Amino acid sequence: MRLIDLSLSASDEDRGAFLSELCESLEIDHACYALQDPFSGNVHGYATYPEEWKQLYGQRAYQHVDPTFTKAVRSVAPVDWSRFTSDSGFDTVFSAARDFGISSQGLSVPVRGPFGDIGLLTVTRDCGEREWQGLRRKIIGGLQSAAVNFHDSVMRSNTIAGLMRVPPLSSRECEILQWIAAGKSQQDVGDILSISPRTVEVHLRSAREKLGALTTPQAVGRAVRLALISPG
Amino acid sequence: MIVIIDALNKHEHPDLVRGMHRLRARVFRDRLGWDVTVTDGEEHDLFDNLDPAYLVSVTPDGDVVGCMRILQTTGPHMMADVFAPLLDGEPPLRSARLWEATRFCVDTAELTDRRGPRSISQVTGELMIGACEYAMESGITDAVAVIDPLMHRILKRSGNGPSGYLGSPRQMGKVVAMAVLLDCTEERVRNIRQCTGITGDVFRPEPVAIAQVAGRAGAPRPALTIADAGLPASHAA
Repeated sequence: MRLIDLSLSASDEDRGAFLSELCESLEIDHACYALQDPFSGNVHGYATYPEEWKQLYGQRAYQHVDPTFTKAVRSVAPVDWSRFTSDSGFDTVFSAARDFGISSQGLSVPVRGPFGDIGLLTVTRDCGEREWQGLRRKIIGGLQSAAVNFHDSVMRSNTIAGLMRVPPLSSRECEILQWIAAGKSQQDVGDILSISPRTVEVHLRSAREKLGALTTPQAVGRAVRLALISPG
Repeated sequence: MIVIIDALNKHEHPDLVRGMHRLRARVFRDRLGWDVTVTDGEEHDLFDNLDPAYLVSVTPDGDVVGCMRILQTTGPHMMADVFAPLLDGEPPLRSARLWEATRFCVDTAELTDRRGPRSISQVTGELMIGACEYAMESGITDAVAVIDPLMHRILKRSGNGPSGYLGSPRQMGKVVAMAVLLDCTEERVRNIRQCTGITGDVFRPEPVAIAQVAGRAGAPRPALTIADAGLPASHAA
């Protein structure tokens, strides 16, 4: 999945482009991200929805009754909107959404950050039930990663703590990045450290995400720049 | 049967939620001797206020015999806080695709008493299958879990050992606690099913199977535990 790099001082345009690209690469119709900033209380929102729908949504204050937002933010796992079919708020919002060509078939992916901050990425796709099930299974991992990536980007730009923060990598994560920088494969690193390649991958994934990197080489580059590891 | 309870459906399962907190009191305070807070026979902590997801293993009679609590590692979770000593002071893993499983327990006393020790691995297997399937459905690839040596043994004996270890085991209460990694994969689910003989959907068991288990008093052992035979006879916990 090719995505716009949001890790360094992303603008609102970058974030909008990120969502459009997410739709493109994951075969979804619309994507929307909302965050309630725990420090300022402000809600930050980005969406690929038509402007008219965004306006109507705000005017009618649907964010207070829309369960794909109000209820889904309290879930740990992504929430398929089929869970809301008997919810009156859902009916209200999505019967209105239909006039804008927006499907009531979708998924909300909640993100929790370290400061009690909660974000939510929602996506919709108008297609048959079966196709939706298959698509959901295929894209769910990418959506989880994209949701946290997006959330972290917004949080970093909204808090001084975020801007100043050096990612807290563990010694194990640094050690693994150091071996990767030295040209070792994941299998090699597992052998050297006497851990399974799967465990190497878990640490690497965590290190990548902490560094806001989309790829392992990018993570190595950032770790070198932050002096967390030495050049290979 | 496994029931997933989260902030969205918690109000629909008050009895199961109470049963789970009571089970946790019996296991973590009484058996393991952890320093946990028990009020009115129920164990609760601060993380229960953060809208976690719970997997609860329920008998056909409605008794809670196993449970597990799930939190995202991107937000507040136990490895970043109370279990930090298990990581030797290192920062915890944090990933969109890594969940944390805590308060993972099975009612060993009750199960040993009523249905023989082999049921312990059945309940553990059912919980692990449920957790793996729930995780995979949610785009999660791995989980970090805090377990005690008994649970560690049960997992290893049922073809379900950790895929990795984090930090160092530490004494907590009467026993040692350890942080392990568990991959959430079809392969793990297959292994557990093979070792425990659990074949059906753990979330929606077939009515026949329920009837068989329900009639367990004095009746022949239900068919769904046949493959227990694959387990060592010394599997007493």
